Amino acid sequence: MSGLELRDIRKSYGSHQVIRGVDLDIKAGAFVVFVGPSGCGKSTLLRMIAGLEEISGGDLLIGGTRMNDVDASKRGIAMVFQSYALYPHLTVRENMGFALKYAGTPKAEIDKQVNDAAQVLGLGALMDRRPKDLSGGQRQRVAIGRAIVRHPQVFLFDEPLSNLDAELRVNMRIEIARLHKELGSTIIYVTHDQVEAMTLADQIVVLRDGVIEQTGSPLTLYDDPDNQFVAGFLGSPKMNFVAATVTAEGLQLAEFGGQVIPMPPISSAPAVGTNVTVGLRPELFKRGGPAAFEVTVEIVEHLGGETYAHARQGAGAVLTIATDDGRSLRTGDTVTVHFDPARALIFDTNGDRLR
Amino acid sequence: MIRLRSLITYGLLCIAAFVSVFPFFWMLIGTTNTSADIIRGKITFGGELATNIANFVAQVDVARVLFNSAYLAIATSVLTLLVSSLAGYGFEMFRSKFRERIFAGLLLMLSVPFAALMIPLFVMMARAGLINTYAAIMLPGIASIFIIFYFRQSTKAFPHELRDAAKIDGLKEWQIFLHIYLPVMRSTYAAATIIVFMANWNNYLWPLIVLQTNEMKTITLVISSLASAYYPDFGVVMVGTVLATLPTLIVFFLLQRLFVQGMLGSVK
Repeated sequence: MSGLELRDIRKSYGSHQVIRGVDLDIKAGAFVVFVGPSGCGKSTLLRMIAGLEEISGGDLLIGGTRMNDVDASKRGIAMVFQSYALYPHLTVRENMGFALKYAGTPKAEIDKQVNDAAQVLGLGALMDRRPKDLSGGQRQRVAIGRAIVRHPQVFLFDEPLSNLDAELRVNMRIEIARLHKELGSTIIYVTHDQVEAMTLADQIVVLRDGVIEQTGSPLTLYDDPDNQFVAGFLGSPKMNFVAATVTAEGLQLAEFGGQVIPMPPISSAPAVGTNVTVGLRPELFKRGGPAAFEVTVEIVEHLGGETYAHARQGAGAVLTIATDDGRSLRTGDTVTVHFDPARALIFDTNGDRLR
Repeated sequence: MIRLRSLITYGLLCIAAFVSVFPFFWMLIGTTNTSADIIRGKITFGGELATNIANFVAQVDVARVLFNSAYLAIATSVLTLLVSSLAGYGFEMFRSKFRERIFAGLLLMLSVPFAALMIPLFVMMARAGLINTYAAIMLPGIASIFIIFYFRQSTKAFPHELRDAAKIDGLKEWQIFLHIYLPVMRSTYAAATIIVFMANWNNYLWPLIVLQTNEMKTITLVISSLASAYYPDFGVVMVGTVLATLPTLIVFFLLQRLFVQGMLGSVK
């Protein structure tokens, strides 16, 4: 296994820049997840690492060697695609051994590698079938098997679970996590599903418009985002953003009856009168308590273990409130809630975090 | 009401089936009758099959004519499929600033009738010293715009991720074409084979112009010359027609299943 270094990596199509200077260090054996909205450049960046897209500028190092101009097959990577990309005219066995066959590996060695991978993935009974005779989950396992037999330095996964149904997606997620533990390889995984990112990653890289917004461990990004975009992107349901004005007493929430909350602990408070945005995770809210304010429930989502209530005060912003004692909540109910102001996050008008 | 509609539908289908099948039936009947019977419109089997075949064999160097037709049809079809599918693959797989403009230009050329190209083509072939050669028949048809168009449209359904996966597996572009694209697109090839083989086997006008000796003539040219004789023997003409029809029927029935798939789209 190898680590990767991306130094000022750029990609342009004509005058249009899609990756605008990405610097990133990925440790050997790490599970790194690229997340971001559609069109943010995460798949393009992955394809550049794979050697499927030309790198317009910067340096890509895998295991300390510059790989910009190295052929995709010689970069020591293997890739699992969203659509599986299994060769439809070949059997599972032939698909898995395909790369080794073209690399000139002896047949006995190919059989051994393929059988070992099939055993790890439980594909033994499917080896002589063609992809069209397999379910989505089985196809994805074959695609992973095809990657494993190459013993790559780095595994690349491009939204591998997007075509699976919800149940299978959870199962495959667990299987990928298990594989990472067993193989110990470096994995770069692209997804737009932040639950996948949070559950699988050692390190999350949040991308927007071809630049890295923030990188760090899942909980660091969740608890301590650098900006409003990252705060809003990670977390389901997403963080509430409430407009506020800085006053001498703290923060005045205009949309909640002008209620004033104490200023969260930040090193340099903005000047009185400054407009800011307060970020509140849905799970911060507690029913009742001191300094509570009233909200009217508009929509209730019961998930069994917990309830999400979408509520607002008058014509103010809609808040998403997560509660584990919300089974009795109904649309139209008026409830009182409070939150710990010390855990609120403050963002300036540019969306940058005030710490 | 529904019954009346069914009656009309089946009635129309019967007429269409009759119109389609009757020429074949008449052709077969013709091989067993004399020329005079055929002209009279006799539509029952006669006893002249052996005579007609003997006359046909006596008048025509069957082996040579069939070899010419088969050689030209097979070689041209193989080359057309190879060149046109490569072009279709290239047009779809490789991004280029001028790709769509060049393709639109090619499609525009479809509207030029062959009659307008015949004389320039003949002059080109004459200057190249290719008149009365197989090459003169094969070369103009190899880059078929319609087949390029057909392959490009079919290639739109070819998953680009297969090409990416093959690149990562270490295949060069020509290996991807040969080992991945070609087998995956086999029903498109089958459909194109039928279209191209039939067109080449039945090719009449261009061979008539550039083939000048009897040793080079194809079956369509021979049938034409038999039919345009001063006293044509239509029994013999019908034997020739059956012989000319059989290969195209065989190719069609062999590839029928893939042909239908190819028309619906190769990649599922």
